[in-house]
Parts: sequence; structure tokens; C-alpha cells
Amino acid sequence: MQEKFKVAQPWLTLLARLTLGGVLIVAGALKVGNLQKSAMAVRAYEILPIWLANFFGYALPWVEIGIGALLIIGVAVKIMGSLGALIMFGFIIAIAQAWARGLSIDCGCFGGGGTIDPEDTKYLSTILRDIGFLALGVFLYFYPKGRFALDK
Amino acid sequence: MATSSSGDKGTRNLVIIMVAFIVVVGVIFSIISNRTSSNYSIPAAVSEADGYGIVLNPTATPKIDVYVDYQCPACRTFEILNGGYLNEVIAQNKAKVVFHPMTFIGPESILAANAAACSADENKFIDMNLALFQNQPSGENTGRWTNDSLIAIGNAVGITSNTFNECVNQGKYVKWTRNITVESGKANVNSTPTVLVNGKPLDRDTEYGDPVKFKAALAAAGVQ
Repeated sequence: MQEKFKVAQPWLTLLARLTLGGVLIVAGALKVGNLQKSAMAVRAYEILPIWLANFFGYALPWVEIGIGALLIIGVAVKIMGSLGALIMFGFIIAIAQAWARGLSIDCGCFGGGGTIDPEDTKYLSTILRDIGFLALGVFLYFYPKGRFALDK
Repeated sequence: MATSSSGDKGTRNLVIIMVAFIVVVGVIFSIISNRTSSNYSIPAAVSEADGYGIVLNPTATPKIDVYVDYQCPACRTFEILNGGYLNEVIAQNKAKVVFHPMTFIGPESILAANAAACSADENKFIDMNLALFQNQPSGENTGRWTNDSLIAIGNAVGITSNTFNECVNQGKYVKWTRNITVESGKANVNSTPTVLVNGKPLDRDTEYGDPVKFKAALAAAGVQ
């Protein structure tokens, strides 16, 4: 069993890198073309002061693209995996508080965002999905060495 | 062996620096290009103190702020249900009404907001505002709103001047829409339509979709 994991682990790391990295790049790229909407999506969570929410709205898509690119190339995987997990943790907290407070918002994870009809919210599925991504980041923290990475 | 491993390290650091550089430049560029500027061309009816919105009846009270995106279907519904009464209020000078055409749905929202601002210079904003919603394409950024089609909408409501055509074609007020974006962000407007009466938002569940309640909300604020 342990032997099998030893063989599979570098491939699992590769898979985790490509999945988490790919998701982050796509999420960032979809938002970077409409930063107004991105800032609006962050404001709609009603956690941060408006100026900080706007800053996050403009900055986050670029940061996502950066982390995603480094994960796919396979550079600083341990650190980028942790950052990816940290970002996902932040998203989960943000979505959970919006849900608990009864806000009706779109998560704005892949573009979109803002206030929507209460029946259109999908908090649970979004949180479950982000827990999955968080798990990938945690895996990469513990097993950063994988196939086809620039890191040796 | 030693040289090849230090070469790998060099590549690795170079990649990290390059990606970090792109991220930092991207963030700085995004922040700089999303700030207000009074150097942009600004329609005559616009007041900086009112969030760069298009102001009708500047001295009347109460103040009603209307935030829309011309591509937003809910804004179209709002205009159809309540636009008639709101225009009556404006025509009878019963309130100061400030329109903030937002552009977060994309490029064709910017073209439409520019055309609306151009129409304000011709004192035809109310008609143009209604006509834009009446001619709202189904679907976002479908290619159906171009400067030509927007000029045609303007012509249909009786704007025939050459200045209007030039204003639309040159995108005279395109940059001004950024000011609207920034200021509506500061006002914490996170969806459209948003209507503030004396700074207080209407109740999203009831007062937007029901003309009787909309009228009542305005009356409560002092619109007779």
C-alpha cells in the first residue's frame, strides 16, 4: 500500500498542481477582463471596508493568475500550494458568512458576482467545491515534489 | 552536475520573478485605470458632487439616485414599471433625480452610457434613457449595440444634431463612465437597478417591482 502510494504520489502531485493551478488561472482570467464587476463581487460580501474590497477586486484576479501559473510550471510548489489553500480558506469563510447572514449574492468566483435573487444562490455547492480545492492545496504543501515540475 | 543544478535554480528564480512582476504590474495598472479624473470630458448635466451622475432638477428635493446598466434586464423591467412615474416627477420638478449609468456588464454598456450622456447634452436624456431600455438587445454584448445603432435610437427620439452624432462616434464620454464606476463603488452599489431616495436604498423585495409601492416610497420621502 505504502509502496503503491510512493509510486503514485508524484503523479498525484502533478494532477493536484494542474487542477488547482488551472482553476486559479481560469478564475483569474475570467475576472481580469471586467475588474469593475470583480470589485462589485467583493463588495457584495459586505465584510471589508469599501476601499479595501475594491482593492481586493482589482488585485485578486492577478494574484490568482500568478499562483496558478507557478503551480502549473511547478515552481515553489510548497509555498504556492499553501497560498492556494489559504485563498480557498478565505473564500469559504466569506461565502459561509454571507450564507449565515442571509445575503443573496453570487460568489463571483468565475466572474459574475453581486446581489442576486435568493433562489439563485448556491452556497453549499460552492463551499463543498472550495473545500476540495483547499484539500488539493494542503496535499501540495505536504507532497510538493511531483512530475514535470521545474522544482527539483 | 553542480552547474546544471545551479542553472535550474537560476531558471526557477527567474520564473518566480517574472510571474511576480506581471502580477504587481497588473495590480498597479488595474488600480490606476480605475480612478476618477476630472480631466475627462464630462457632460454638462453632470455634477461631481453627485457621483458624476447626470443631474435633473438640481435644486429640487428630495434627491433620488438611479443606478442602472443599460444592458441589465431588471433595469429594463424597472424602467417599464416605474419609469413613467419617475419621468413625471422629473417633468414636474418634484425631485432632484441623478442617473448613474453603470457599465459593469461590458463594452456595449459603455457605448450605451456614452450615447446617453451625449443625449443629455441635447436635453433629451429622459427620452434617450427610455428608448435605450425599449431597444435593449436580449443577451449581453451581442454586437447589436454599435455607435451607428445608438445614433439611430437617438434619431428616433428626435435627436438629429451633428454634435450628437459626433459625440457618440468619438466616444466623447467613454472615459467619464469610469468616474461613474468608481463613485458607484464608493456608494456601495452592488447590483442594478439600485434606487436611493435621500441616500437610502429602496427595499429590493418589494419597491422595485410594484409601481404602487414605488410611488408610496417616493411619497414617504416627500414627493407629492
